[in-house]
Amino acid sequence: MTDRINEQISAFLDGELPSGEIGLLARRMERDGELRRAFGSYVLAGEVLRSPGGITARPDFAARVSAAIDSSASESSGQAPLASRSSRWSRPALATAVAASAALAAVLLVRPDMRGGEDITAGNADPGAATLAAFPPGGASPTPAQSQRLAGYLVAHSQFASPIGRRNVWTGVLAADPGIARVAYDAVEAR
Amino acid sequence: MLRAVALATVGILGLVSQPAAASEDDASEWLQRMSEALATRNYFGLFTHTTNGQSETMRIVHRVEDDQSLERLVSLDGSGREIVRTAKEVHVYLPDRRVVLVEPRTEASSLLKSLPTPSPQLDAHYDLQVRKGNKLLGREVRIVDVRPRDAYRYGYRLWLDEESAMPLRSVVTDPSGRAVEQIHFTRLEMPARIDPSATEPSVDATGFQWIRTGRQPANAALAAKAAEWRPMRMPPGFRLIASRVQTMPGVPVPVQHLIFSDGFASVSVFIEPGSSSGPAPPESTSVGSANAFTIRVQDHIVTAVGEVPPATVRDIATSVAPVTSLAPDEAAKSGEPASR
Repeated sequence: MTDRINEQISAFLDGELPSGEIGLLARRMERDGELRRAFGSYVLAGEVLRSPGGITARPDFAARVSAAIDSSASESSGQAPLASRSSRWSRPALATAVAASAALAAVLLVRPDMRGGEDITAGNADPGAATLAAFPPGGASPTPAQSQRLAGYLVAHSQFASPIGRRNVWTGVLAADPGIARVAYDAVEAR
Repeated sequence: MLRAVALATVGILGLVSQPAAASEDDASEWLQRMSEALATRNYFGLFTHTTNGQSETMRIVHRVEDDQSLERLVSLDGSGREIVRTAKEVHVYLPDRRVVLVEPRTEASSLLKSLPTPSPQLDAHYDLQVRKGNKLLGREVRIVDVRPRDAYRYGYRLWLDEESAMPLRSVVTDPSGRAVEQIHFTRLEMPARIDPSATEPSVDATGFQWIRTGRQPANAALAAKAAEWRPMRMPPGFRLIASRVQTMPGVPVPVQHLIFSDGFASVSVFIEPGSSSGPAPPESTSVGSANAFTIRVQDHIVTAVGEVPPATVRDIATSVAPVTSLAPDEAAKSGEPASR
């Protein structure tokens, strides 16, 4: 692998690769298994550098990046494009975006757990370098009945939150899987 | 009640809202710009959501149509769960449960009128700072620190795109400065137009159970009973901004919903009357940076939910009591903030 490609991967992961080169790199990764594994190693290295407290990653991390790029690429090509009304002149740009999003999604889908790290209290000299601290343990897992009530409350509450507060609540609902159970309820309707 | 409070809130916000031309060093104006950008711009992107040591990838699409904010949030990590905000409702698709949770939208028709705006008293409860940051996604960045002055609320560090004020990264921190939740964009596009199909759900909900939240209480007597309850202690700066009675999924009786805000964070208090059976409170739960605390008070179940530390929702929930049991002067203060 050439230094040039190394630099491209590094720039891509830093979000600094010119858009014209992203698609080329992503398509090359789809063809080149060695490049995909190298890409996985770069991702892992980046996570380690950004997480001084240490991270956990499976031994097959790089291979999982390869597999995820493949599956993400096929998923992206099968979904309704955002720019479905684009003219044929914009297709190269769209293809680039799809390829790039597939690569990005691949990185994220297999991202190792981020554990440990430093505080990001106000006193940090370089907030740009701040990383996630160890997350405190959450509360007890709710029962299905409790989680159903909780999910309803969270969604109702989110209507009055600020835009960023609402986003945080929604992502929590999707990520935490409040475990809404099927229940008999007079407001239920079948479709 | 809700309408009256909402109108009053809109009026107050209208007085304090400032033009979008933000001073580069004014953190509150950056927060104002961020809120406006989140509500009024078309955008789509990918981000990681990290909490409790778990990372999940999500896709978000937000578009504005006829002065309405439409949004779709999708978990990409296998469950297929989605949240779609249409013009009239919020739909939570849970394909793994074959359930769709439906909540009517409550906000006013105008985007900006419905926008929570940093309030003038924000400085009393948060220390706001802004500084130049390193580039993210190839964009110049301003870092806004929102540091709470007490332990009742969370802090935020926000990495905002200098040009659009869109948040590219956000970290929620607990009172000790430890991160409890992070959202980190790895891709963000802000096109002039987004096709309506992008905010349509991808889940085929045929045969799913649709569970709807209602606005009309089925039992007026119970609703009136719930309305007589209030939290007797609120953290400094939290004020009642709305109140309503509604039916909730899985809750057989109408529920009183009170909403409090300090101008940045918000807390909801739900009061279920006549709940002599059901789960055995107290119960503390965390969902990302949101926390909930449920407790039985006499024959009511009280739940406080909000983007605040667990101790804050616990304190609020445990202070809820019937207004009628208080002395007149105490009753007059119920629901109002109380310094401790």
